[in-house]
Amino acid sequence: MNPILADIYSTVIPSAPYLIAAYALVWAALLVYVIIVVRGLKKTEAQMAVLEEAVRAKGGD
Amino acid sequence: MAKKTTRVPEAGGWPDAVAVPALIAGAVLTTVGFLMAFLWAAPVNGAALSAPELVGDVMVTHQQLISQKIFYFHMPVAIVSFVALAFGAYYGIRFLMTREQRFDTCSRVAMEIALLFVVLTMITGDLWTRFEWGVWWTWEPRLTTYLILMLIAIAYFVLRNAVDDPERRATYAGVVSVIALVDVPVCFMITRLIPSSIHPVVAREGGMSPDMAATVFVVLAGMMLVGYGLYRLRFREARLGERLQALKDMLE
Repeated sequence: MNPILADIYSTVIPSAPYLIAAYALVWAALLVYVIIVVRGLKKTEAQMAVLEEAVRAKGGD
Repeated sequence: MAKKTTRVPEAGGWPDAVAVPALIAGAVLTTVGFLMAFLWAAPVNGAALSAPELVGDVMVTHQQLISQKIFYFHMPVAIVSFVALAFGAYYGIRFLMTREQRFDTCSRVAMEIALLFVVLTMITGDLWTRFEWGVWWTWEPRLTTYLILMLIAIAYFVLRNAVDDPERRATYAGVVSVIALVDVPVCFMITRLIPSSIHPVVAREGGMSPDMAATVFVVLAGMMLVGYGLYRLRFREARLGERLQALKDMLE
């Protein structure tokens, strides 16, 4: 390969895995956190609905 | 004289209504910022080449430091971590002043968001460090003070889990959140206070070109919106959990 091109690529190609990892990890971590929070929210809302139902049933007795 | 009532934050209303749109807008803006970073913002020049070379239709005269593009996510994520820590400490102080548990909930959620962004800052910074400096870790002043900040944020949650009494737990947590905030200006200023620090400083290196600044601004706006959206969603979940527990306690 042309030595000047090799010199240019020497700072580009080897940095790619680190660059891709940095961007991918940020997005992946934020996405995982959103999923955890939304799942927790849905679970708590479901528990609240069950509790409301139980209270209503108790009131009807 | 009427007693002054303390307004406490509550889930619901417009702040929660805009949480999901804020998250979506944040995702869009960070994606736009990512594209700007790679397709628009000029790469930073490294060492001069022995001779110019035509690549595509561009005459290249220097090595291109592509790893610098990590900066476009690294810096905004770090700023959001500082903002979240400031909110964590603010609500921690409000709790210490009023003893209102709701402020402790706000502080805990803000500290959780802060820890997430602190860890992301460490990871993105470390990946850059590994490529540019050839090591995963060095006891450089900025890295060291930021590591201390991360350890304080982790200690905050360790402490919370170690104390059973809610009042004492919230008091200790409030104090730790303030200690974490004290480290923020130290982290920020350390590269200026210790000029031998090898961590890159934008101002010291001639500032940002308009294309770099615009890219950072877009990603920063996106990350702020993501941080806000995450905070409101997590706060809503936490408050719902507290109300559920209170109802269960009443029924038992």
